[in-house]
Amino acid sequence: MFNQFGSTAETLSKASAVVLRIGTDAHLYDDPEDVNIAPLLDSKFESEKCEALKRLLALIAQGFDVSNFFPQVVKNVASQSSEVKKLVYLYLLQYAEKRPNEALLSINYFQKDLGDPNPLVRAWALRTMAGIRLHDIAPLALAAVSKGARDPAVYVRKCAANALPKLHDLRLEEHAPAIEELVGMLLNDHSPGVVGAAAAAFTSICPNNFKLIRKNYKKLCQILPDVEEWGQILLIGTLLRYVVARHGLVRESLMLSLNGMDTNGFCEKDDLVRDLTLDKEDGGKSDSFDVNLVNAVSKCYIEGPDEYLSRSSCPDTVTSGFDSKETTSIAHNEDVKILLQCTSPLLWSNNSAVVLAAAGVQWIMAPLEDVKKIVKPLLFLLRSSSASKYVVLCNILVFAKAAPSLFAPHFENFFICSSDAYQVKAHKLEMLSLIATASSISSILREFEDYIKDPDRRFAADTIAAIGLCAKRLPTIPTTCLDGLLALVRQENFAGNLEFVDGEAGVLVQAVMSIQTIIERDPHSHEKVIIQLFRSLDSIKVAAARATIIWMVGVYCSLGPIIPRMLTTLTKYLAWSFKSEAPETKLQILNTTAKVLLSAEVDDFQILKRIMVYMLELGECDLSYDIRDRTRLLKKLLSYKLASHEPAEDSVASQENIAVHVVEHIFGKKLKPFTPLALNNKFFLPGSLSHIVLHAAPGYEPLPKPCSFVFEEHDQLLNLNRQREAGAELDGSQESSETVDEDGSSDYDSESSVGSEFSSDEMMVSNDASDQAAPLIQISETSVSADQEELRSKRALDLWLDDQPSTANQTRSASNSNQSSYAKISIGDIGSRVKPKSYSLLDPGNGSGLKVDYTFLSEVSTVSPLHVCVEVLFENSSGEPILDVKLEDEESMKVADSSEQTLVGNANASYNNVPTLVPVEEISCLEARQSVKRLIQVRFHHHLLPMRLSLHYNGKKVPVKLRPDLGYLVKPFSMSIEEYLATESRLPGMFEYSRRCTFDDHVKDSRMENGKDKFLSICECITLKVLSNSNLHLVSVDLPVANTLEDATGLRIRFSSKILSSEIPLLITITVEGKCTEVLNLIVKINCEETVFGLNLLNRIANFMVEPFSLTN
Amino acid sequence: MPDITNPIVNSEIKKLPLTWLEYSSSKLNLKHEQVKPKSRTRTQSQICASLPEMLQCIFLLSDSGEVMLEKQLTGHRVDRSICAWFWDQSISQGETFKSLSVIASPTHYLFQIVRDGITFLACSQVEMPPLMAIEFLCRVADVLSDYLGGLNEDLIKDNFIIVYELLDEMIDNGFPLTTEPSILREMIAPPNLVSKMLSVVTGNASNVSDTLPSGAGSCVPWRPTDPKYSSNEVYVELAEEMDAIVNRDGELVKCEIYGEVQINSQLSGFPDLTLSFANPSILEDMRFHPCVRFRPWESHQVLSFVPPDGEFKLMSYRVKKLKNTPVYVKPQITSDSGTCRISVLVGIRSDPGKAIESITLSFQLPHCVSSADLSSNHGTVTILSNKTCTWTIGRIPKDKTPCLSGTLTLETGLGRLYVFPTFKLGFKIMGIALSGLRIEKLDFQTLPPRLYKGFRAQTRAGEFDVRL
Repeated sequence: MFNQFGSTAETLSKASAVVLRIGTDAHLYDDPEDVNIAPLLDSKFESEKCEALKRLLALIAQGFDVSNFFPQVVKNVASQSSEVKKLVYLYLLQYAEKRPNEALLSINYFQKDLGDPNPLVRAWALRTMAGIRLHDIAPLALAAVSKGARDPAVYVRKCAANALPKLHDLRLEEHAPAIEELVGMLLNDHSPGVVGAAAAAFTSICPNNFKLIRKNYKKLCQILPDVEEWGQILLIGTLLRYVVARHGLVRESLMLSLNGMDTNGFCEKDDLVRDLTLDKEDGGKSDSFDVNLVNAVSKCYIEGPDEYLSRSSCPDTVTSGFDSKETTSIAHNEDVKILLQCTSPLLWSNNSAVVLAAAGVQWIMAPLEDVKKIVKPLLFLLRSSSASKYVVLCNILVFAKAAPSLFAPHFENFFICSSDAYQVKAHKLEMLSLIATASSISSILREFEDYIKDPDRRFAADTIAAIGLCAKRLPTIPTTCLDGLLALVRQENFAGNLEFVDGEAGVLVQAVMSIQTIIERDPHSHEKVIIQLFRSLDSIKVAAARATIIWMVGVYCSLGPIIPRMLTTLTKYLAWSFKSEAPETKLQILNTTAKVLLSAEVDDFQILKRIMVYMLELGECDLSYDIRDRTRLLKKLLSYKLASHEPAEDSVASQENIAVHVVEHIFGKKLKPFTPLALNNKFFLPGSLSHIVLHAAPGYEPLPKPCSFVFEEHDQLLNLNRQREAGAELDGSQESSETVDEDGSSDYDSESSVGSEFSSDEMMVSNDASDQAAPLIQISETSVSADQEELRSKRALDLWLDDQPSTANQTRSASNSNQSSYAKISIGDIGSRVKPKSYSLLDPGNGSGLKVDYTFLSEVSTVSPLHVCVEVLFENSSGEPILDVKLEDEESMKVADSSEQTLVGNANASYNNVPTLVPVEEISCLEARQSVKRLIQVRFHHHLLPMRLSLHYNGKKVPVKLRPDLGYLVKPFSMSIEEYLATESRLPGMFEYSRRCTFDDHVKDSRMENGKDKFLSICECITLKVLSNSNLHLVSVDLPVANTLEDATGLRIRFSSKILSSEIPLLITITVEGKCTEVLNLIVKINCEETVFGLNLLNRIANFMVEPFSLTN
Repeated sequence: MPDITNPIVNSEIKKLPLTWLEYSSSKLNLKHEQVKPKSRTRTQSQICASLPEMLQCIFLLSDSGEVMLEKQLTGHRVDRSICAWFWDQSISQGETFKSLSVIASPTHYLFQIVRDGITFLACSQVEMPPLMAIEFLCRVADVLSDYLGGLNEDLIKDNFIIVYELLDEMIDNGFPLTTEPSILREMIAPPNLVSKMLSVVTGNASNVSDTLPSGAGSCVPWRPTDPKYSSNEVYVELAEEMDAIVNRDGELVKCEIYGEVQINSQLSGFPDLTLSFANPSILEDMRFHPCVRFRPWESHQVLSFVPPDGEFKLMSYRVKKLKNTPVYVKPQITSDSGTCRISVLVGIRSDPGKAIESITLSFQLPHCVSSADLSSNHGTVTILSNKTCTWTIGRIPKDKTPCLSGTLTLETGLGRLYVFPTFKLGFKIMGIALSGLRIEKLDFQTLPPRLYKGFRAQTRAGEFDVRL
């Protein structure tokens, strides 16, 4: 019956548990797959979709791969329900990288969401889109982010700032400047929330681009207290780096004040230090700051510990101080003052990371007398969570090592609670032994006494070691300590079999070692202690402790009056116990006996010698290799001694003299005071991860070199210089491109239309023509010119826009009646002015005088449709000839054979086998000032990613990157305007993308002032720009005739092309808006089936349209 | 030339390092070697170019080491095998490892905090402020336990969707996004009975808000723009904890108060409050909620702030060097030939004027104690299997002094006790702040209608150690 009750109660409790879990997602987590998920995803009910997604998330949480649902999930991105949307986003981010093709399907929805009136929806879309991490959509994401960065909602701007590192992480080098610019813009935001996120983006994207900070420095300092805590942490670090880079360290600060002490201004600085130490109760100067350590710390901060330590191996450089030019004074520097002012209230922050970051700034930059204000806030951090306590202590330890006096008055803070973790206890012990002063040591020692009785024996052993350290630091206390330690040793002996108890042995060993450390300072006054230890040898059973004491017998064997008299007894005892000792003790007994023998008096010599011989015999048949080896060594070394009868007897043979010296060296030397090795002299910046793990974590950077960031005046000068250089280069490149044309003209095919595909004589003619400023664009109604042009356009530029020039004036187009009010014009020999842009592959600075530039050609490759022709110009700008210049694909080097095969054989059978680079013939010798061109054909792996090539010359190999230019991954596709419009109408909706950009080349064009027709020059400018940057066919130019002369709105230019790899047609329409004399707005529209390629090209066009005007003339 | 025969020189390097700092560096060296080569193969510029993410992944582990939840934060995914490594280490190294908040694993840097048995583990591969990661994990744990009404394995599994949604809002690309609890509450509704029932009945209850909380973009992100209350109430509480150490001689070595000013505000509109103390000079140091303005405090030590809605911690402070504790504990122990007699007296030392409640005394019996027989004349004594002994006293009776006494039997072979336990004292006093801090007044810039102000105080024992 009771059983029944029991079971009822059980079921009841189960039932109640079930009731409690009702309505939660418990069942979903426990059995996510108990229903078929796929149909639920396709359900028309939001709730069912929601459930399916939750099940998927449960599977993700449990570590299963559910990426096979990706296509179905992506569809739901269009859901209106915010919860479904959120869940889809969660799923999408988990798998997007795995399923790139399907992920692209969602892009359109994101685009739509980005325009949603609800800021939350916009922010979510932005976050997810940027998080998808696909190269293909990166330009879209960048566009979305730059839009988001101007969003009215703060939250969206914040998300945009957070999205920047995501884009940066894709390493799209061509977008890097745009991203950095956005960072700068967001740093300048008026909302503190955005600035915080922007600071984080800055830290991860361009931590050394101090130009961005310089613009906003004062504002950033003022806004710092309002920035949210996470942003504060990074912003503090950024500001500190900026100030150091700009102004260097502060002369009055702890980092430098002691550094300069021994060279100049000794007295003055010394006073400062003394002031500081005086108000810290007591303690000599040596206690207040460890000069060498502070020096090491500051160097480590600036140079990074690895560099510093490697350098410090050569002693001369260690002491070299900072150049006085690299320092600044707080009295005269506003920037430093502001930084210190704005970070000091943050020491009150609720977030321990903020407090630590602010304390770090004060520690490095604050004047000596102000540093102490970081002490209390740091100590308060010790009351926070146990996890952060450990990190804080690690940091405080370094502060205390460099400046013990700061923390000395607060020693009670480091008293140990029973709830502290072991590491925390160990750190606190080290702190206490570091900061103990003559006045506090008595309280500290009393604490230590308590700790020795702690149940955690490892901690007790550490405490004893700490006592040893204290005694070493403070000259007044050793006697007290020694008494206590000896009592401890005796007490441990007393307990007899304690060695079996866990950890107890460690305590004893540590006690003996601490005693030894104390004795070492002044052996003569501690003779009695040594004797006591020797006496206790009989009762101490722990091998390591015995070994230490026996070692002391050897070292102090000739100390004072009493010890030498004990030696025979002691050695007899040791010989007697030798058999039963542990190996490490046996080794020590052998050593010690040898030492004793060497220093023996005449009386004892014979006895000791006999003991030694006995011991050597024992040792020779020991079980341990080590002991047998040591015995043999000793036997050999001591053979001369063992053979002699008197201790002072000198052997005559010179051979043996060496042995005497060796023995003297090994055993006879008096003990030198042991200086603790600076094991831990690696210092990392306070608050850094590297500081905790004690190695430089990836990405750790020390402070920038002082004053490495030049002043603004210099900066401007530099800019000017750079501009000048750029101008010079431009001239050079134009010259070179002309030589290109002349030399390579025979290679050119004039079949393809636009670009530089005139034969060379035509080129010269047209150059002449342009020099005479002939009208390049002519309204087609002037039939004379039309006829003239026709000749050329048939061959080269298909610039006739309509085959009925007579009707052109009627402004009528057969296909588009609503666009009837357009005149059709022809653009003259614009092709002659098209100068393909040349990019630098190798800088002469890096290539020891070899300069390599490359230019994309509009030719179609003969190898395969995937290849692009690139002309490479090798130029030797050095005075020496350069030998064996050769350009190779990095990968083909590995499979050199296969590339040759494919070259000869099946060029179009399988593109996959086609080499990525058709090799060029090697240039055996490039004379000084000579330039040579080579045509290479390249297949890019991806239309956005650069190709890695290696350039060989003079036997060297240099890796270079050949960046694809999207504009040349298409080829001109000649079509009439009707064909064009028909194709365009077939590619509506999702195949059509458009983007706005600005255009201002025509404003700068000097010809504008010559009274030329404005429309024409605009057309000319735009076309020139487009054709200079891409390989297209100009289809038509529509001019708005009906409008006023000032208004260029309606001007439309059409280009057509085919994608090289897939032969898919791609149409580009550029529509102009705005006044002729002002900056124009262009709407660039692309129609293409290959949407991703189209989008990328669209962005490329939009980018080069806004680039500065440089290619005319 | 160093004396090569000196065992201390050699062993000092190996053994003497007394701190974990050195200990860990030598011990973890092997692992560092594994981490480092990876970083060396990259050039410096590449490193600069590829450090976007702070945290890469967050794992929630149950107390049995099961991975309950993983949230990848960036494109650089972290395999969950890292958790297996972590758990193996924490089993083989025990408590020492568990209390280590920053760990260098062969592949990642790990940050861990443990709350109520749940391990929050975050991974990173690059340099970042470790305290930031730890603080963030603490914040996550706070928010989760606030949402779920506690933290345990079942609660997290039952509400894993909410956990996911919260994590997604709280961190974006490894950098904290929204951590302010009041905004989070508006974005993602905490689970409550009504929503649970609703979801059972209709099967459809979204806990994700459709609209952006107004606070998310304002200059006071901790406060929703326009909360409305019929009656305006604000309660201020001084909650103090007493930390003390009494050493083996019975001396009070350290005695200080850690206190918090906690406020529960239910105020309409945009109130601007000023709180001042009668004796701010006793405060040793303090930390403030972000809503507190620094200037007024710097100049005349008043707290001027726009409060968040609901409960929050306005400031925390410390008062040091107190002279007295309200309760005394007098332990005595005598040991002789394998048994110890122990007696502990607890009494009131200085009457604070209010009742001292829920007094408890707990201690860990040393390992060498094989059995214990303890009894008390007041309250109850329990001994758990892990040798933790708790004496629950409650209030101290007027007529007698509570006394715990009994015998401890030591393991065979031990003559007497050589290590001694530390007693941890717990107590609570309502209605008084032992630090002596007094609130002078709470002012409003514009007085709202129907205002009710309340003040109270309490003191608990914090880290109160009495050593035997």
